[in-house]
Amino acid sequence: MPLSFVSPLILAALAGLPALWWLLRVVPPAPRRIVFPPIRLLGGLASNQRQTAKTPLWLVLMRLVLAALVIVGAAHPLLRARPVVAGGPLLVVVDDGWASARQWPERRALLDDWLREAERQSRPVALLTTAPPADGGPVPSPRLRSPGEAKAAAEAVVPHPWPTDHRAAVKALDAAALPPPLRVLWLADGLDDPALRDFAARLRRLGPVEMAAPPEAAAARLLTLAADDTGELRASIRRPAAALPETVTLRAADTAGRTVAEASTTLAAGRRSAELALPMPAELKARVARLGLAGEASAGAVALVDDRWRRRVVGLVDEIGAGTGASPLLDDLYYAERALAPLAEVRRGHLDELLRRDLSLIILPDQGGLAEQQHRQLEEWVRRGGVLLRLAGPKLARNPDELLPVRLLSGGRLLGGALSWTRPMAMNAMPDDKPFAGLAVPGDIRVSAQVLAEPVIDLNDRTWARLEDGTPLVTGAPRGKGTLVLVHTSIGPAWSNLGLSGLFPAMLERLIRLSRGVPPGEVGKPLAPAELLDGFGRLVPPSGIAEALPPPSPRATPPVPGPRHPPGLYGDDRMAFNLGPAIADLTAAGPLEGVSRVDLTGLERAVDLQPGFFAAALLLLMADMIAVLALAGLLRRRAAVVTLLVLLSLLADHPLAAAAAATDSTQAAVLKTRLAYVVTGDGEIDQTSRAGLAGLSRLIERRTTAVLGEPVGVDPSRDPLMVFPLLYWPVVQRAEPPDAAARERINDFMRHGGMILFDTRDGGEDGPEKLRRLTGELDIPPLAEVTDDHVLSHSFYLLRSLPGRTTGAPVYVQDGGDPSNDNVSPVVIGANDWAAAWAVDERGRPLYAVVPGGDAQREQANRFGVNLVMYALTGSYKADQVHLPAILERLKK
Amino acid sequence: MTTVDAIRLQTQAAALAAPLPPLLAEAERVAATVLQGVHGRRRTGAGDSFWQFRRYQPGDPASAIDWRQSAKCDPLFVRESEWAAAQSVWLWADPSPSMRWSADPARPSKFHRACLLALAAASLLLRGGERVARLGEAPAPGLGRGVLPRLAAGFLGAAPTPDVLPDSVLPRHGSLLLLSDFLLDLAVVDLAVRRWAGAGVRGHLVQILDPAEESLPYQGRVRFAGLEGEDDLLVPEASSLRDAYGRRMADHQAGLAAIAGAAGWSFCRHHTHLPPTAALTAVYSMLAGQ
Repeated sequence: MPLSFVSPLILAALAGLPALWWLLRVVPPAPRRIVFPPIRLLGGLASNQRQTAKTPLWLVLMRLVLAALVIVGAAHPLLRARPVVAGGPLLVVVDDGWASARQWPERRALLDDWLREAERQSRPVALLTTAPPADGGPVPSPRLRSPGEAKAAAEAVVPHPWPTDHRAAVKALDAAALPPPLRVLWLADGLDDPALRDFAARLRRLGPVEMAAPPEAAAARLLTLAADDTGELRASIRRPAAALPETVTLRAADTAGRTVAEASTTLAAGRRSAELALPMPAELKARVARLGLAGEASAGAVALVDDRWRRRVVGLVDEIGAGTGASPLLDDLYYAERALAPLAEVRRGHLDELLRRDLSLIILPDQGGLAEQQHRQLEEWVRRGGVLLRLAGPKLARNPDELLPVRLLSGGRLLGGALSWTRPMAMNAMPDDKPFAGLAVPGDIRVSAQVLAEPVIDLNDRTWARLEDGTPLVTGAPRGKGTLVLVHTSIGPAWSNLGLSGLFPAMLERLIRLSRGVPPGEVGKPLAPAELLDGFGRLVPPSGIAEALPPPSPRATPPVPGPRHPPGLYGDDRMAFNLGPAIADLTAAGPLEGVSRVDLTGLERAVDLQPGFFAAALLLLMADMIAVLALAGLLRRRAAVVTLLVLLSLLADHPLAAAAAATDSTQAAVLKTRLAYVVTGDGEIDQTSRAGLAGLSRLIERRTTAVLGEPVGVDPSRDPLMVFPLLYWPVVQRAEPPDAAARERINDFMRHGGMILFDTRDGGEDGPEKLRRLTGELDIPPLAEVTDDHVLSHSFYLLRSLPGRTTGAPVYVQDGGDPSNDNVSPVVIGANDWAAAWAVDERGRPLYAVVPGGDAQREQANRFGVNLVMYALTGSYKADQVHLPAILERLKK
Repeated sequence: MTTVDAIRLQTQAAALAAPLPPLLAEAERVAATVLQGVHGRRRTGAGDSFWQFRRYQPGDPASAIDWRQSAKCDPLFVRESEWAAAQSVWLWADPSPSMRWSADPARPSKFHRACLLALAAASLLLRGGERVARLGEAPAPGLGRGVLPRLAAGFLGAAPTPDVLPDSVLPRHGSLLLLSDFLLDLAVVDLAVRRWAGAGVRGHLVQILDPAEESLPYQGRVRFAGLEGEDDLLVPEASSLRDAYGRRMADHQAGLAAIAGAAGWSFCRHHTHLPPTAALTAVYSMLAGQ
């Protein structure tokens, strides 16, 4: 454990301690002076005890220790200080590309240590960041500044969601022309790139280089979505170094950030990449918005999933507006639409419109001969990879065309009709080698009419499902990159009850899986950024100089992620633009010549011992005072015990500040109206709550006459609640129900006019369960959904919906009202994650994107916040306004 | 005299008189508790209060006959009143700096207690028809309740001179009440007492002490300081002196008692933490206890 001193010269004062010894020994503590009238009577008595008073030895020793502590403390001792070798200014190089996001806290800490050390030694510092800055400019040239300035600049360094550019960094160094020799400290991301060696060589020319890089096991990993024919979500995971086996967990999350599915795999030693599939039901798959590596927050460890991967869009060709008439139950498309609803997004309309979208499956119901134009469009679409499902019917039977997997015999076959000897027929089991393999066929399917295929040699190959007599019921054949499928009967009840069975949706799911999605044919518009990833893989509203992506086309080279095109979601359709595919080569940087390297992890932070020394000196000083009092006989025994106890309690309960802070928060809360949130213990949620309430308080100050202080976090079991008008309570999954004492306080709070906003923050998915667990023992009144005429919808703004970061989940308040509480509901319960919608950073920019999104939703969320606070502050004051029409009505009479 | 001067004089007078009414009231209150148990001379003599009726005897002046009583029965009765011989008592409350001290701010100073006892005794004596004066005061002993405020002003206004006993010459058969801590050389006290006793004065010594002066409750390293110009005394451990000091104090008190006894005077002690009533009873019985 290396111990070092900032100002070692001060230690020379220790030489003065012997003199102090002598001085302390000679000068005893001053006696107490007492006025005593009968002093004459004392006259002769004292003389027999006359002796030289000396300071007791232990007191002298204690004072010597005290003096030594002060001297050593003043010399500012540091434990494990990272020695920044003396000599010359510092050049601190920070790789702030995507790969730095992993282990960012460690990097940050090391960077702080370096700069603090530089500050102590007052050495000028130049700071160089190697990733292109977010403003789109070139890599800024480093220049020497004071350590304080450099520290402030370093505060602003965050990892960017794009790679570093060491070539540009070399240019920046050239432009800066820093005077060698420098000490170069390099916080590297550990990845190799073609310009890395040049960069290292350039650094070496400036002076000795020390590089801190992550160890192999902690190097950044990269996630890329992989195409998959089976319709499962698949991702490939790459890592720069392959020396150690490593287990990675892939997690699929929906828009609200909830985990939908999870899978793990182990990358064996020697393997640099692995592919991993996430099998999940289609309904869940439709909700997946992003894949991420567990335990790694970086833009590279996140793959955004857009419609192309996630939700297949199925087009229903409806040229005549069928099914909207009097008898929807007779319409084929009605059944198709119902079957598809849970599986995919259904678009219904004219073929022209449909083909402008990105579709994976088109269902063409029975209709009279295809027009020349349509035929051409559809065929072209199939050849590009689409799956066309055609449904048979009388019109097709009369008038077969060419866009079919098999040639049809003209006319149809009627089973079980009045003039037929046969009965409606059941289905055979599905053939094993065809797409429907394994689907169970219900016994009650009856087909009463079908179209018949022309028997040709390969009919058997093209038959995907058969009736019990062996005639094909579903046939399919590839055409171009796509597939043509024909159901030889109708889905509607006219020819069969296939559309009513559970088999049909299962068949459709297989077909959807078969399809790969076909981008729209024409080249579209440029895609404006909608939401972008930040360096830690979080979606944030677009900022900086992010530009629109050129529309995707097979010919153009894909854009490179960078300040102009950060990874994220682009366009109205939220097309995902991920970092993964853009990084072809992910390798670890090997040893660089002339660069000494230290591992980033395992570095212990420097410990500043000065406060400890001074605190010890202070304690000794107090002990000294007590001792002096005792020696002078001024200390009564009880007072001594009390003083000792107080001192001991100070020592034992060191976080003095906590107690002080608690008192402070109460005091502050009393002195100013402020909102409060319940501290959950989950740092991120608490931070969001705080930022959310802070944003809301600021908003309310701007828009209303209410002035709110900074919000505070409270612990219901400890802090007094009654001083807060509104308590925001984010409900987390593993929240422990409050204990009996806390429960009593919360109930008391609600009974006496307090209001609690419970927010399950999940859009209402599994909120009830955890909410019930949390609040089961609380006196929650009977609840009712907030209606348009509730005060909460009127208290400041007129609101129709009460969205937060998510929208749509109902909001509950007390049913009716409690007159003793002025009819104000003591609880507001919802799931829309309001704090995240209100949360803004210190510059007032929102921290989280709202879903589905848009400024309108954020504004609505803000307005809900204003209404809520007004409701909490003014109670049912505005309820009169709700009754205004009735009052006016009465006045008229 | 300008108006401004008059106002200033009045203000000063009011400030000076401010402690008097409380002290007087307190003295009266203390005296009232004592008076109940004490009676007059219990013999016939010149006085105002009724004592007894007795048969008329030849030689009695006719004007002494109580006609109302005589009319009730045959013999003639003469109304006799109780003897109320006026005695002159001189009072002295030691005004020295050492008296103006109290070890505990919650306790009154010895001087305050001395003044209180002196005034209470004066009040009692005045009610009993005696003449009272302050030792060292020029006018002859006064009679009647108008004397009391003057006495009080005299006691409180006395200059804090160092410990010396006054050497006023008193007429024979006067009584003298000395209230002091008597922290003097016994020889000085002896001399003064002898002188007065030789002049036929009856005296009473009341030693008023703070309890701290009796018990020396201090400990640790202490520098003791006197109030009357004595040298400081540094004591390494005050508590070790306690026993020796206690013996000295007892010796001193015994010496005082011996001086008083030799002159036929009475002596008693009073501690300021005790209520003044007990001391007043003792003082009064000393004064009345011929």
